[in-house]
Amino acid sequence: MFPFLKIMLRNLLLGPSTDAFPFAPAKTHENFRGCAVFDPEKCILCGICHHVCAAGAIQLRPSEDGAGMQYLLWHNSCVFCGMCAHYCPTGALTMSNNWHLAHTGAEMFSNCISSFIPFGECAQCGAKIQPRPQAIIDKLGVRSPERFLLCPQCKRQSIVRNVAQVRSTRRQENP
Amino acid sequence: MLQFLSKLAARSPWIYRINAGSCNGCDVEMATTALIPRYDVERLGCKYCGSPRHADVVLISGPLTLRVRDKVLRVYNEIPHPKVTVAVGVCPVSGGCFRDGYTVGADIDHYIPLDVIVPGCPPRPQAIMEGVLKAVEIWRARLEESVCSHS
Repeated sequence: MFPFLKIMLRNLLLGPSTDAFPFAPAKTHENFRGCAVFDPEKCILCGICHHVCAAGAIQLRPSEDGAGMQYLLWHNSCVFCGMCAHYCPTGALTMSNNWHLAHTGAEMFSNCISSFIPFGECAQCGAKIQPRPQAIIDKLGVRSPERFLLCPQCKRQSIVRNVAQVRSTRRQENP
Repeated sequence: MLQFLSKLAARSPWIYRINAGSCNGCDVEMATTALIPRYDVERLGCKYCGSPRHADVVLISGPLTLRVRDKVLRVYNEIPHPKVTVAVGVCPVSGGCFRDGYTVGADIDHYIPLDVIVPGCPPRPQAIMEGVLKAVEIWRARLEESVCSHS
């Protein structure tokens, strides 16, 4: 007879549907893609994040003295696509569910991730190579952990030395 | 009297939206912020108005394409002082994924001073509300300043 009575009663029982947001923390899904979080300890300066960034929010600037790279991620350009976190080989970049990014215009150029990442050193000759944090050693340097810490030239030499050694032992075994 | 009025006015800022060549994503979020009961920016006293002459807080979205640039500036100049500009989304600040396009005039900061920036592509409605609240604070301070300078 009065179908609206049912709806009215239900709405009265359910209470307001408005989020209490400014007065209480808003509900955020844990998979919500907010701003990126950067862990400089894990970065190997491979530059894949810079390569896949659709909005061009990531910059890698070599420092003047050649000691490392300045890593910059501008939150004001980032479109939260999450490509950098997807392609990051070491998990240095991850997407958080933090969306509290509103800031005043004066902070426009400080709203970024900025960290200096020093180059690694070759374990043999001390030349500058990409940094070798534990995260990438566990992933790529499992087969020959010692050779993984060398610069390309030392690595080549060590391989040649290795091959020569193997050949000489073979020759000795079957002359 | 003016001070009393300004105190009352500060409780209900009127919002005006300018679409400066946006892809409509941020506009949908801005509409969501106001129209859907779940977010409901109107309970904070904010109200979307149709005319720039009634506006206090301006929400700008989009990378300011060259085609709308002059029109946006004309509309912006019609908004009475003191006004607060809120950039919604990353486009007004940096151009977002439209940066370096041949029709894009971003960043808007060259033409219009941005007071509050809400980055996101698009920002979620709660983030826009956060930005609007920040803008209202700035607007309140400006209102008091301008009233004091007048009287």
